[in-house]
Amino acid sequence: MNTRRATAEPRWVRLLLTGVALGFLFLFLVLPLIAVFWEAFAHGAQAYWEALQDGEAHSAMLLTLTIAAVVLPFNIAFGVAAAWAIAKFEFRGKSLLTTLIDLPFAVSPVVAGLIFIILFGAQGFFGQWLVANDIKIIFALPGMVLATLFVTFPFVARELIPLMQAQGRDEEEAAVSLGASGWQMFFRVTLPNIKWGLMYGLILANARAMGEFGAVSVVSGHIRGETNTLPLHVEILYNEYNQIGAFAAATVLALLGLVTLVVKTIVEWRMRKETEMLTADLPPEKTELPPSVATERP
Amino acid sequence: MFPAPAKRDGVLPGFRLGLGYTLTYLTLLVLIPLGGMILMTGKLSWSDFWGIATAERALASYRVTFGASLAAAAVNALFGLIVAWVLVRYPFPGKRFVDALVDLPFALPTAVAGITLATLYAENGWIGQHLAKFGIKVAFTPLGIVVALIFVTLPFVVRTLQPVIEDIEAEVEEAAASLGATRWQTFTRVLLPGIFPAWLTGFTLAFSRAIGEFGSVIFIAGNMPLISEITPLLIISKLEQYDILGATALAVVMLLISFVMLLVINLLQWWAANRHSKSSEGDAPAEALAPGALAEARP
Amino acid sequence: MSIEIRNISKRFGNFVALDNLSLDIPTGELVALLGPSGCGKTTLLRIIAGMETPDAGNVLFGGEEATHVHARERQVGFVFQHYALFRHMSVFENVAFGLRVRPRKERPSEAEIRERVMGLLKLVQLDWLAQRYPSQLSGGQRQRIALARALAVEPKVLLLDEPFGALDTKVRKELRRWLRRLHDEMHISSVFVTHDQEEALEVADRVVVMNRGHIEQIGSPDEVYSSPASPFVYQFLGNVNVFHSRVHGSWAEVEREGENTEAGSIAFVRPHDIELDLAPLPGGMTAVVRHVHRIGPLVRVELEHEAEMIEVELTRERATTLDLPLGKTVWIKPRQAKIFAADTAKPADKQPFLF
Repeated sequence: MNTRRATAEPRWVRLLLTGVALGFLFLFLVLPLIAVFWEAFAHGAQAYWEALQDGEAHSAMLLTLTIAAVVLPFNIAFGVAAAWAIAKFEFRGKSLLTTLIDLPFAVSPVVAGLIFIILFGAQGFFGQWLVANDIKIIFALPGMVLATLFVTFPFVARELIPLMQAQGRDEEEAAVSLGASGWQMFFRVTLPNIKWGLMYGLILANARAMGEFGAVSVVSGHIRGETNTLPLHVEILYNEYNQIGAFAAATVLALLGLVTLVVKTIVEWRMRKETEMLTADLPPEKTELPPSVATERP
Repeated sequence: MFPAPAKRDGVLPGFRLGLGYTLTYLTLLVLIPLGGMILMTGKLSWSDFWGIATAERALASYRVTFGASLAAAAVNALFGLIVAWVLVRYPFPGKRFVDALVDLPFALPTAVAGITLATLYAENGWIGQHLAKFGIKVAFTPLGIVVALIFVTLPFVVRTLQPVIEDIEAEVEEAAASLGATRWQTFTRVLLPGIFPAWLTGFTLAFSRAIGEFGSVIFIAGNMPLISEITPLLIISKLEQYDILGATALAVVMLLISFVMLLVINLLQWWAANRHSKSSEGDAPAEALAPGALAEARP
Repeated sequence: MSIEIRNISKRFGNFVALDNLSLDIPTGELVALLGPSGCGKTTLLRIIAGMETPDAGNVLFGGEEATHVHARERQVGFVFQHYALFRHMSVFENVAFGLRVRPRKERPSEAEIRERVMGLLKLVQLDWLAQRYPSQLSGGQRQRIALARALAVEPKVLLLDEPFGALDTKVRKELRRWLRRLHDEMHISSVFVTHDQEEALEVADRVVVMNRGHIEQIGSPDEVYSSPASPFVYQFLGNVNVFHSRVHGSWAEVEREGENTEAGSIAFVRPHDIELDLAPLPGGMTAVVRHVHRIGPLVRVELEHEAEMIEVELTRERATTLDLPLGKTVWIKPRQAKIFAADTAKPADKQPFLF
């Protein structure tokens, strides 16, 4: 690219554009990231460490991990099932289904929380019945899981559908023709082929599940030590002017974000390497065939 | 809604299982809850619904939400184009790191972004104190909402443009240059029209995400009714006053907007994918006259 | 094992892929399904393999009904056009797959699997590649691994979909001969699909020429080339000159004005079956030289006769002796021709000259 003289911008333009781009990214991405840690350590490592030892912070972390652990298996099952049906088969209404899968991305998180209040809240459709049977969904773990399931709904399917479409049906058909049963085909051929795409979708879904604020906030009820996830905990501390506490908890979430970015980049790199391997030019044909054929197979 | 018979009744198993599970899960988790919300508005008369949806505070919240979203999407459209261009075209140290960092807003929980931006842009914050010298207040004003939304929607334009810029064939630019176009003419007349649909798609994705955003905004917005209150927050405050019908009415308005945005995005992507296949007839003579083709055509 | 196909029909929406088609493939034969794209040959192959279900008709394996036997239980070896090797498995594991997925009771021991797989890899002469991955192989190597994998399950029938389609010309020729020899050794009933007439004629025991969902002709390679049963077969196998309504009886009586006793017939003459001379040929006709192309050992002469182009192929020596400048008038006379009534030759009307 350096050598494309006729179609390269003058040096000063390139420097200017690079400067603008990096300046913009620094201002909006790097500076906030630094600020999170700066604020958390504003009163030293000791204060930071103590802020993290808070019992409510621990229960918030535990709840966040619990929600993610419950939600992710559902995301895997749905993502794989939807991608299998959409990518490997033809049926009417396929593009409508694909659009509907994307729908939760277009819905505001607040609306995503509200719809479950309407179904299961005290004034909602099933509210009376739930109270009568002593089942708690809203302001309890099930409601928070439902809201998180809704907002993470498309992640895995979105990654897998184009991947499985590109891979086609040949390998699966070959497996069947060689005698593999449905599950043998799935676990030995399909799953190994989609593992990186699945991983990618899961990382994104996990980041969203652990970091979700709006939807979970609506259904949680903010009961300290019970229905507070880590992002909600950050909000409460911040509103109580507990800067250190809020930012200490925020660093945990920021680290989660950074780990997500690192793992995501590694997975992207692996996926690119695999597609490169598959689309690479074939090695030159070696003509080792004729002599051996001629000598060994008269 | 989805008739099961596959056109090609191949040997692959699991179609019924896969589609059945997909439809059941989609129906239970997405369609029934969204349907339930629309059903809930049935408890309101049309005039009540209209009254809530067009109340002064609601209208003000739409203005704030849409205005800030539009501004944020516009800023990202401009800078996103530059960032995408630089990331694809210019080598610089640490490029892979910067490239990975662009996705930070997708990975960083919105609440963290919210409190951090609020702190940075507060009057005593790192950035806010410098802006204050010029009399610019960001935190706790509508401008703060724009800043938060710029952060949250930053990756959309960059990530939709990057692959498209990568796919531009060098020959197209070389052809333009050989025909005497300046670099700027090449960019505005040849390259920009090519990446325009993707650009517009990125803008729309950013805009659509911004409209619904909540977590990052509430910390920096100040949340003053009529001035810096976004619609999602208005829904929540109605909910906190146990006005579930009022909240539902506003949520339905937002849902309708989401549907429209989804439709627009789909149309844009369809347009981007299909406009070349339509215009390919027009391109054909130009291809036939390429120097290589002429040489080959001669016996 | 023999394969019988009885009255098979298959549609995709409005498109008729196979139209009431029947075919017998005797045990041990190597049969080519030859035809242009869209003629239904791949659909037929996939129906034999059990990858598609026919709308009507039956498939019999060794005289036994197999139409609704699942692909998994048909004991058919299928070699895919693009090989469909499992990309995340080594060559060894690819070939071993069919053995490893067997129910535990029927599954060979690890040592047996090893022995079988290495034996097959030796057979396809690629045992030194056992630990490589498909992406590290050349096209020809992938093709042979795909074949070894299909053979590992000891199929009763071997089916190959465009087996050489994705290879370059040289490798294609080598692999063709090699497949022929392999078949002669193993003697397993084999069917392969191709659109390349040269491939079908060189490799197969029998060629099935297909067009628009039905069979035009079945015969040995020699039969289908030298006595084509229909104008379609004539035009599909090799170059041909088409003469309209000018001939009758045999070619020896070339048209004379006002003497079309069999008006509406069409004659097909291969370019190498036309005699060309500077001196008048008895019963011949005149034509003007328009182009001379030297193609390797052949010289292809394009002649104009009454505003129609005629193609003649000569050996290099003959062309040199004749010395044919452009614009020269020469005499031509077909050595042999095949005549069809015009109504059976509808496709020919649209394209007077097919190459």
